[in-house]
Amino acid sequence: MTTTVGIRTKEGAVLAADKRASKGFFVGAKAVQKIFPLDERTAVAIAGQLSDAEYLVNLAKAERRLLALRRGYPLNVRETTKLLSSIIYSAMKSYNPFFVELVVAGVDKEGAHVYTNDMSGALTSEPFMSSGSGSPVAYGVLEQGYKPDMTLDEASRLGEAAVRAAMERDPGSGNGVDVLALGNSLHREVN
Amino acid sequence: MASDMGRMPFFYNQEGRLIQVDSALQAVSRGSTTVGLRTKEFAVLSSQVRPTRALLDAAEKIFVVDEHVGATGSGYIGDVNTLIDDVRIAAQRHRLVYDTPIDVGTLSRGLSEFLHTFTMHPVRPFGASVILAGADELGVHLIQVDPSGTTFRGQGFAIGKDADPALEAISQGYRPELTVDEALALTTRAIEAANGGKTQVEHGVVRLGTKRFERLPLSGVVG
Repeated sequence: MTTTVGIRTKEGAVLAADKRASKGFFVGAKAVQKIFPLDERTAVAIAGQLSDAEYLVNLAKAERRLLALRRGYPLNVRETTKLLSSIIYSAMKSYNPFFVELVVAGVDKEGAHVYTNDMSGALTSEPFMSSGSGSPVAYGVLEQGYKPDMTLDEASRLGEAAVRAAMERDPGSGNGVDVLALGNSLHREVN
Repeated sequence: MASDMGRMPFFYNQEGRLIQVDSALQAVSRGSTTVGLRTKEFAVLSSQVRPTRALLDAAEKIFVVDEHVGATGSGYIGDVNTLIDDVRIAAQRHRLVYDTPIDVGTLSRGLSEFLHTFTMHPVRPFGASVILAGADELGVHLIQVDPSGTTFRGQGFAIGKDADPALEAISQGYRPELTVDEALALTTRAIEAANGGKTQVEHGVVRLGTKRFERLPLSGVVG
């Protein structure tokens, strides 16, 4: 169920997601938050088992805070996604998997990034990514509308359009869209 | 009362000291002279490796921990090796989880915690001090970790036999704008001053620019 979308541009990264939580063929909840900030410049869009995803996000938040405190500087987007995939992979290997597909987006020293983490711990990165049951429809819109030199505003609109298209045809997605835009300027050098 | 301590060497004594830890530090001060020096641009490690007997090969004293970190130690060489292995594993573990090189602060913290556990139980603490030198996102680091788990950060350290005169020689010759060659000459001079003459010294260098730790070939008198 769910449709989530992540887009990377020169100006920053965008996350978009619908708001429906399904209980089988029933709409369990109509106003669910599926985009979670990990800090001011990194966020995760979740699809799959809501409880697993929320736990994973809280665990990642705690681990990130601990490491940042210990070493004195925050994790970049790659480190954050690799941390998540390490947790997910070890859970899968101990027959206790997290039923999630995460789209991680953020900005750091190197610019904007979008990654996808699946429940096996596999990690992939492309300029735009989508997850959840509505992703095939969303990908159609993204393939048509994505341009590498988009502004952050254009990317936000494309992300919303992709989720809205998926909501039209996927019964697992609906009830409105959340969009989060992370501009490159959010990243400031820590001294 | 004091005689009771003979049976309980792992508890605080009357003066509030841990005699096992004191003994471990004493073991370190019998090890070969080993020094580290740091500027904003680089850090060097130097250790005396002259064989103590005839026909003996020089023991390896400068260790590569990971691409960007090196270490050296003084004290019981078996203990040094175990500690080096501990930090090497910590470095690779970090790469596995985060896919980035570990920062030197976290590395020394892990080593310090490992050493500290051995002061909490009735076991023998490690008879070795370690100096870590590395470069990361925060710059160049030089960190000394003692058997108690105590950690020191600074621009110059000396451990092992005659550490005091060696440190004295380094602080006399230290300038923030030293070049790598000057620093290596200075650490060699410090070790030789402490040992009263020419000897065999092994070096390692890590530079901020390359963020790579390299071992250098043996220098000084051979044999």
